[in-house]
Amino acid sequence: MEIRQINGITIITTDERLDAVSAPTLRELVSEAIGQSKVRLVIDLAKTQFIDSSGCGSLVASMRAVLKNSGDMRLARPSPQAKTLFELTRLHKVFAIFDDLGAALESFPADS
Amino acid sequence: MAKETKIRIEADVELVLLRPLDVFVKSLIEQIPALSGSRELVDKIELAFSEAFTNIYKHAYPTEEKGPMCVEIRVGPDSLEFRFEDHGKTFDPDLTPTPDPDHPRESGLGIWLMRNVMDELHYQSEDGGKNVLRLVKYFPRAEE
Repeated sequence: MEIRQINGITIITTDERLDAVSAPTLRELVSEAIGQSKVRLVIDLAKTQFIDSSGCGSLVASMRAVLKNSGDMRLARPSPQAKTLFELTRLHKVFAIFDDLGAALESFPADS
Repeated sequence: MAKETKIRIEADVELVLLRPLDVFVKSLIEQIPALSGSRELVDKIELAFSEAFTNIYKHAYPTEEKGPMCVEIRVGPDSLEFRFEDHGKTFDPDLTPTPDPDHPRESGLGIWLMRNVMDELHYQSEDGGKNVLRLVKYFPRAEE
């Protein structure tokens, strides 16, 4: 997993699998990111070919932590497997999801 | 796979086994002719396997002291079955929550997902402290 910044927006790129093995790492990275005030966070799922309920749980926990700190979060570039899982678990109604990373970055209000 | 193929794996539950077993199961089911044309079906069966293994790791053996598990994979002409055995804590599969977008959960959706992506889920706690989880998926019928 890697974390970087573009124009004040934090981007976490997840690994090939987001499961019980990697979910704790995502939670740790998000905890580091929200150390900044009002973090604007994009979790880029482009490399992630497989997500299970542990992975979904870590995304929900991430969103909850970001919102609690007055920040905002987007998901970008989910795989077909991830999209199917989000629809099954109805998380597609919870997350702001973008097929394009640029669109996810541009979706944050300029003054947030 | 005209006749039944059966594979049995026994191990002490360790998280480090999750991915190697997942990859093995995925590559196995990708070779089942009835599933080879459906990426979504393969993904869902892989998901069910991952959820079942993780459930044993997290909930049957919730402390650092893990115990034994066994998984049997049966591939027949019409269906696939995972049979997981553990000797840990039991659970009631009927008391699992349903996803609610107004109250998204950080955990606890594994059983609900298994039930929704497979055709059958059976859970039984047997004498001697053995818990058995059976997941069955029937293959789609070929169009005539």
